[in-house]
Amino acid sequence: MANRTPTLREDIPRGNVFQRFYASFESPGRRRALHALIVALLIVTPWISSQYVTVILTNALLYVVLCLGLNVVVGYAGLLDLGYAAFFAVGAYTVGILTQQFGINFWAAIPFALLAAAIAGVIIGGPTLRLRSDYLAIVTLGFGEIVRFTARNLEITGGASGLSHIPEPSLFGWQIDSSIDFYYVFALLAVLAYIASQRLFDSRLGRAWLYVRHDEDAAEAMGINRVATKLAAYVIGAIFGAIGGIFFSVNLGAISPESFSFQQSVLILLAVVLGGMGKIPGVILGAFIVVLGPELLRDFDTLRLLIFAVLLLLIMLFRPSGIWPEKRS
Amino acid sequence: MNKILSLIASAAVINLAAGSLAMAQDGPITIGVQVPTTGSEATYGKDMLNAVTLSANEINADGGLLDGRQIQLVTGDTACDPQQSVNAASRLASRQVVGVVGGYCSGATQPTLKTYGDANIPFVIVAANSTQLIPANPGNAFMINSTGADQAKTAVDFFEGKGIEKVAIVNQGDAYSQDLANLTRDAWTEAGHTVSAFEYVNKGEQDFSALVNKIRSSGAEAVFWTAYYADGGLLIRQLRQRGFQGTIAVGDGSNSPELFNIAGQAAEGVFAFSNPTADFLPAAKQFIGDYQTEFGNAPGPYAPLAYDGMQLMAWAIDKAGSTDSDAIIEALASADDQEWLAGPISFTPQHTLARSNFVVLEGQDGKWIRYEE
Amino acid sequence: MTWYDSFLQQLVDGLVLGSFYALVALGYTMVFGVIKLLNFAHGDLYMTGAFAGFGGLSLVSGFLGAGWLGIFVAMLLAMLAVGCLGVVIERVAYHPMLAAPRLSILITALAVSLVLQNAALSLTGGQYTAFRTDLGFGGFNLGNLFLSYNQIVLVATAAVLMIALELFVSRTLYGRAMRAVSIDKDMCRMMGINVSAVIAVTFFIGSGLAAAAGTMAGAYYGSIWYFMGFLIGLKAFTAAVIGGIGSITGAMLGGLILGLLESFGTHIPFIGSEWKDVFTFSILILVLVFKPTGLLGKSEVERM
Repeated sequence: MANRTPTLREDIPRGNVFQRFYASFESPGRRRALHALIVALLIVTPWISSQYVTVILTNALLYVVLCLGLNVVVGYAGLLDLGYAAFFAVGAYTVGILTQQFGINFWAAIPFALLAAAIAGVIIGGPTLRLRSDYLAIVTLGFGEIVRFTARNLEITGGASGLSHIPEPSLFGWQIDSSIDFYYVFALLAVLAYIASQRLFDSRLGRAWLYVRHDEDAAEAMGINRVATKLAAYVIGAIFGAIGGIFFSVNLGAISPESFSFQQSVLILLAVVLGGMGKIPGVILGAFIVVLGPELLRDFDTLRLLIFAVLLLLIMLFRPSGIWPEKRS
Repeated sequence: MNKILSLIASAAVINLAAGSLAMAQDGPITIGVQVPTTGSEATYGKDMLNAVTLSANEINADGGLLDGRQIQLVTGDTACDPQQSVNAASRLASRQVVGVVGGYCSGATQPTLKTYGDANIPFVIVAANSTQLIPANPGNAFMINSTGADQAKTAVDFFEGKGIEKVAIVNQGDAYSQDLANLTRDAWTEAGHTVSAFEYVNKGEQDFSALVNKIRSSGAEAVFWTAYYADGGLLIRQLRQRGFQGTIAVGDGSNSPELFNIAGQAAEGVFAFSNPTADFLPAAKQFIGDYQTEFGNAPGPYAPLAYDGMQLMAWAIDKAGSTDSDAIIEALASADDQEWLAGPISFTPQHTLARSNFVVLEGQDGKWIRYEE
Repeated sequence: MTWYDSFLQQLVDGLVLGSFYALVALGYTMVFGVIKLLNFAHGDLYMTGAFAGFGGLSLVSGFLGAGWLGIFVAMLLAMLAVGCLGVVIERVAYHPMLAAPRLSILITALAVSLVLQNAALSLTGGQYTAFRTDLGFGGFNLGNLFLSYNQIVLVATAAVLMIALELFVSRTLYGRAMRAVSIDKDMCRMMGINVSAVIAVTFFIGSGLAAAAGTMAGAYYGSIWYFMGFLIGLKAFTAAVIGGIGSITGAMLGGLILGLLESFGTHIPFIGSEWKDVFTFSILILVLVFKPTGLLGKSEVERM
């Protein structure tokens, strides 16, 4: 096949309303003020809204964590992962099994869940990251389905009914059980995921991903270990997903294989693509859109899914780098 | 920044939608209806919603509850998906519903038990009947459909009555059908018989030829399909197409008349274990007529139970004399074998139906008739 | 049944299932050959084909009946309609993306798949549609081996379609152009080949074959629904990969092999049928990792 030079559509400098708005916060002082405002809003919201709004926002914050994780894989490293829900499942099931079946303390189970996700990332990433990108997409899809089927077939994962009665955690005497408690847990996780994403983006590894994504061969010529760099993205993404899964399982108190289907992976990917691959605020916006959108469109019944699909297609055709694309100076 | 925008937008819009709460002491009594109105089980969900609506309309026409307060229904669509169910349930809880009626898919009903439990809202589960729901019940939920354990017992009695020794059990790998398959397998083995094959199919798979061969070579005299009608119809077709001569029975997820559309002539002589559907209830003549007039089609398999669920909730509110949750829950628990459309209701200490309401049906000339041994 | 009879029965059933996989796999492999795109929407074209065939049959069953003749005409109509849909999809969604990064075009393909699926979901309300035909359950026994007439017609139709395709690709001008385009597009342009037209023809044929498979599956199994393309899409892709993606003979071979593997896989002792799809996906992953060129594919070094 002929060599084609990658035309990077995302490099076209074009500021939409979001970017211009964001640009007005470029100065450190203003940005700090903005961050403070966001944190204040996150703290206040559950006290001024109904339980329903709190639950939906908790869900949106969960998706923020998941989407920022997938963004590391897809947006930073440019690897299409269609089985991201698998890592979400690994985190949720590890904690579910350890706490509910073996009576291990929730906080003590977390390291095991993270380790399990990292191992899963290495197992699937190790042999496959040398593959062409579309093969990788299909392999991750297959992997996602294998994880779901395995959870459905095993005794220890509770079969198709899944696990229920996953105990709620407590922290220094604070029993985390109401919807507001969980809202704050997820708000904290989302903020941490945001900070971690930002740090990764600015790090040496972040620049290595950029090179690998734009030109693998040139990156390798410059001494970047291609496979190790990709693998790092994969494992970090897996850990983000597992963190989401860990708290998802204790929040719902029950998990079943249906929550980790291919549709779930697609939804997370959709959020990342909608918002703009690689751009943190864009991805967060995407996460809010995919969670709040269907709730606001409830009256459209099945049409809402079609609306989402058409939206995704239009975005790919006319704005392939998302509503709020990455722009790296 | 986007968070701000989204938060403001969402808080504003959703609060607006969920706003105007009916809190007044003399205002309408809000009852939540938790059913799947979208997704692959939407027919069942809409049918149940219709029956609940009919039930509420009748009560309202009779002067409502608690000195003339009218019943107002709010729908929560679960789409048979656990996450969406929780969203729907918390939406209902936020709207301060007095009670909730519904619950079709067991897998999607299970996580909502916690939501209603935390909010202490009485919940009458009308269709979902996995035994997995029982330990997850915080005490405010009541199941008026017999559980999978009752159905497994009906199945065992039926197969024994036919003098069958070897049964093949096939499920679809979802919470409901896997639960029923496991229960039947255990009950059948315990009764001293053989389960010759215990198989799974994946939802949406079309080719069951390898499975049919396996069942045939296992020497099974009967096949028990524990899942839903859509794939069940395909399995029945392929079993008969390949010359399986034995008995075929299906569980209550397949008691829809749609089974005959998909399986065609192969569904003749198939047996179904079923909760009492309207056609077989002597008390339901009036109900069938009213339903037909109101919605233009015949009531589906869960319509009578959904209707009863609403009636039972209304009865409990009246008996409690207030909209206080604890009083309503206490009233529900005291239900004492009164006759309802689908038969008498009283509860075990686990809040499951005290009697088994399963009947055996047989497919004849493209419809279900009551099977008498 | 004896062991031998059971073996033969599995063989026959595996071939029937395999011919569905092969027909769908051909579309993957042809599109992949000419534009190096993994067309995620291909399984959904199979689904669309099934619904188009259903619509076609209700149009013609009035005067042709719902037997094999009616189904055959409905199948041709579905092939035509879905073939055109495939061309439209290529023009609207894929063509503008050919120069974009591969990640973008893959996501576009995924988006097309979701649009088709959800459009069908909205139209049918997620319900199963009964595909009613006049086909009986007739067949004949060879010893203990049961062969239905439907199976025979089905395998024969699939074989005819595949032979026709093979002849088209190897003997006709367009077929040769198709092979040339899959090797080097730029060179083809210089030689005066209308590359766009060749790509359009490829999409038309690939989508048409999926529609043929969809209609036959609907008629044979008796019900259709919006999500029926997902699983078979994945499996057909697996088949294409086993045979060597890009190779037409490979797709046919891969389809048959996968059909047989699944048919016999159900009988592996100690592994229940609940693991069947895990088994299929594991094969896919293993082949991709250890022999990405498949059985008949050409090796090609490429990095994104």
